[in-house]
Amino acid sequence: MRKVGIVDVALSPGVGSSLSLMEFTYKPVKEVLDKVGIKRNEVDAYVMASSDVFHSGLSCANSFDIDATGAFMKPMAREEGDSIKAFIYASLRIMSGIYDTVMVVTLIKGSEHPDNDTLTSCFADPFYTRPLGIQETTAAAMQKRLYQKRYGITDEQCAKVVVKNLGNALRNQNAHIKKRVTVEDVLNSKKICHPLRAMECAPKSDGVCAMLLASEEKARELTDKPVWLRGFGSSMDTFYLGDRDLLNTQLKNAASMAYKMAGIKNPAKEIDMAEISEPYAFQELLRCEELGLCSQGQGGSFIDSGATQMTGSLPVNPSGGVLAMNPYVPRGLYRVAESALQIKGQAGEHQIDKKVNTALAHGSYGFCGQWHGVVILGN
Amino acid sequence: MNKRNEKPRTLKSVLRIPYEMAQGPAWTHFFEGFKQKKILGTKCNECGRVLIPARPFCPRCFEPMEEWVEVAQEGTIVTWSYVNYTYFGVTADMIPQVPVTVKLDGTDCGWWGGLIGGFDVKNFDLVNKKVKVGGRIKAVWRDKVEGNMYDIDHWEIIK
Amino acid sequence: MGRMGRAVAVIGTGQTKHGRRDDVSYPDLVREAIQAVFEDAGITIQDVDAIVYGSMPSMMEGVAFNHFYMADALRAVGKPLLRTETCGSTGQSIAQTGIYWVASGMADIVLVVGSEKQHEGDAQATMMTIPDKITLPMVGGAPVAFSMQSREWMGYFNIDEAKAREAAAIVSVDCHDGGLNNPLAHIQMKVTKEEVMNAKIITYPVRLLDVCPSSDGACAVLFASKDKARKICKKPAWVKGMGFRGEEYYTGDSNKAVWQSTIGAAQEAYKQAGITDPRKELDVAEIYNPFTYHELMFMECLGLCPPGEAPDYVIDGVFSPDGELPCNPSGGVLCTNCIGATGLIRLAEAARQVTGKAGPMQVEGAKLALSHAMGGLEQFNAVTIIGSKL
Ligand SMILES: [Zn+2]
Repeated sequence: MRKVGIVDVALSPGVGSSLSLMEFTYKPVKEVLDKVGIKRNEVDAYVMASSDVFHSGLSCANSFDIDATGAFMKPMAREEGDSIKAFIYASLRIMSGIYDTVMVVTLIKGSEHPDNDTLTSCFADPFYTRPLGIQETTAAAMQKRLYQKRYGITDEQCAKVVVKNLGNALRNQNAHIKKRVTVEDVLNSKKICHPLRAMECAPKSDGVCAMLLASEEKARELTDKPVWLRGFGSSMDTFYLGDRDLLNTQLKNAASMAYKMAGIKNPAKEIDMAEISEPYAFQELLRCEELGLCSQGQGGSFIDSGATQMTGSLPVNPSGGVLAMNPYVPRGLYRVAESALQIKGQAGEHQIDKKVNTALAHGSYGFCGQWHGVVILGN
Repeated sequence: MNKRNEKPRTLKSVLRIPYEMAQGPAWTHFFEGFKQKKILGTKCNECGRVLIPARPFCPRCFEPMEEWVEVAQEGTIVTWSYVNYTYFGVTADMIPQVPVTVKLDGTDCGWWGGLIGGFDVKNFDLVNKKVKVGGRIKAVWRDKVEGNMYDIDHWEIIK
Repeated sequence: MGRMGRAVAVIGTGQTKHGRRDDVSYPDLVREAIQAVFEDAGITIQDVDAIVYGSMPSMMEGVAFNHFYMADALRAVGKPLLRTETCGSTGQSIAQTGIYWVASGMADIVLVVGSEKQHEGDAQATMMTIPDKITLPMVGGAPVAFSMQSREWMGYFNIDEAKAREAAAIVSVDCHDGGLNNPLAHIQMKVTKEEVMNAKIITYPVRLLDVCPSSDGACAVLFASKDKARKICKKPAWVKGMGFRGEEYYTGDSNKAVWQSTIGAAQEAYKQAGITDPRKELDVAEIYNPFTYHELMFMECLGLCPPGEAPDYVIDGVFSPDGELPCNPSGGVLCTNCIGATGLIRLAEAARQVTGKAGPMQVEGAKLALSHAMGGLEQFNAVTIIGSKL
């Protein structure tokens, strides 16, 4: 199997942009090409991840996206859902030996679409679940209640995730939400969907991430700091929430695939930092457990211990995570990009102090995370 | 599978989702031109092509397209059709209609810019006689322009 | 770019009965195709490493990211799933995703599923959300866009209108005859040249019998590595080559009469498959023909005849059932168009042909077959070549 390297990445800011979607997408793609010093038509293939029509108002979005992603007359495909899918697909294309370079581009303008709950309510089937008014936030509220009940996770512990991530975001030039907040601020914010409070929920953001992947030989030729893909895994869960244990998700399965491929036996020890999708604050705690970064039911004491702080033993979301910036489709690839930048030592002001050899990136979407993807990167 | 004598049902529903889309600097300027009844294209300094509607960058050369050029309001028909069926947004009172792609003088692309008009387009034989690939047409603006794609009322056959 | 590392085989195909399928829910429709593919391949879901799913945009059936809703029907629970979508070319794109997955060595068996339930939504309304509302608000649905392209092609090559009309009518007659041989086809009726030529104008030059139906249906294909295929399958079909190309968003930026994305996709696939004279070397072609005139254009751009000469070749019977290269013996898209599945159906039919499993549609002794799909605003083309030999 061929090794896959990340050559370089470019990210757009999360705050609502006055650029058209076409202009907004073009900028990071052009930036990566210029940084690497190759032309659009010299890239072997393109994989894009853009919204399903509901998040962009554009059907068959590859029709519109093709110009700004640079894919004119190049082998190309488009993934739907979380952009880690596009990352995985692009990696498969390189592993197949058919391509040496693949550009991954993911895009969305949250500032142009209605709130995520309006859109995620359309995930529901028309007959049983849609009439109940279920969407990602109401589903997450049920997951949070179960999590608190089963493991005694407190509201303070959940609020600490917000304080940590928004604190980290103050140093991330691309972050959408830049606000120093306290545990009290979070606890006093509006109860929007009990037990979820407004500040525990991610915003909706703009975002474009362009990432150039290459085969081992090509990656070494194009950059002196390649980041290597060591493993990935993804898994799908059953549709109806009632059929699942909401605290035993497919994340465990996705992680075990990724760890196996990467040869990781003890993730808590071997992983230096993680970027975890946490559209709802408590999910960072639950997902740390399911990723094996702490023991089951110990997500609360894990954040209490300070381990996941920027300066801790296993920093989680030094970029500020999804709570600070939530471009719905691109958010997974943002996690991969932020992890790659940490390994390269190019994360800028939010670069963590210790050397990062192995990083974990995670993406998820759907009710209570119906799909999970995990990517392990190394230097 | 269905051993009971029940006819499988269907459920009727409608979804409405609002968006507010940024036009960005390039398209904003393009439509500002419309407000003065001008058609503005952008020129690529790599391949030299002038494209409309205006573009922020050249899709082939992938360089910014920052040079603006006013192009002619007359051009050559690349293709056309005679639409004689109704579909979403196109009701019975709107058909038949004759959409056209035109290559305006001074541009290097075809432009799907609207409908042919100015005569009885209900008569197919007349349409097929008057509208020719390679024929010449010119833009006819609405009296009151608003800076959007509907400002060109129709395209008139000139040859 | 190199040749692929691992050989990839088709070890099974399955389809639903296509048509108006109000009798089943959308997930049940998908299950029907999946049941059929496992019966065909003689394996179970436990043998499958990964799933690829595709359909047209969620607006077609009103459920966003419908791979969530379909997860159980797809038997995807606990498995990796990719969801590829490229508009009309989706069916070919999902097949290619599955092929890359097996070729990469990350999976030995991949289940690829495409589906559509066009009667549940407004397909034309969906397609009118492909063009943006700022610069292309007045661009019409698929028949309009593709009729404009047909007219451009006729004008560019100065093709006599009556001759093109006759050739397109022959395509329609041949496809409808094919549909009668295909028990799963949506449209099953005999038409005559005269009926086609005198049918109501929909979008000139396209008339009613030049247009595909709106179908409900699903298709599933199992791809496998060489070792697995040899173990499981008596007679696998082999992926010989594949290509995909896309053109600019604005249709007028490129010449659509000489369709470079079709040419580019075909040339790449032919190169991988070692094909230099496609009309002679291919035994059968399943071409994505939602409109008869488009099949004419594809014959040219796929290199099956010289540019501007497709009508002559068609009138001479070259692409008819008893001609040199039969096209769309299944009845093609003209008889069945469940869009997300359509490109995959082309590949499934190609695989059935080269393994001698096409029943009444069988082209005698077919060994090498082309499958194709297109989509977007006259933008995307995909080609996959399937052969009987590795
Ligand atoms: Zn240029």
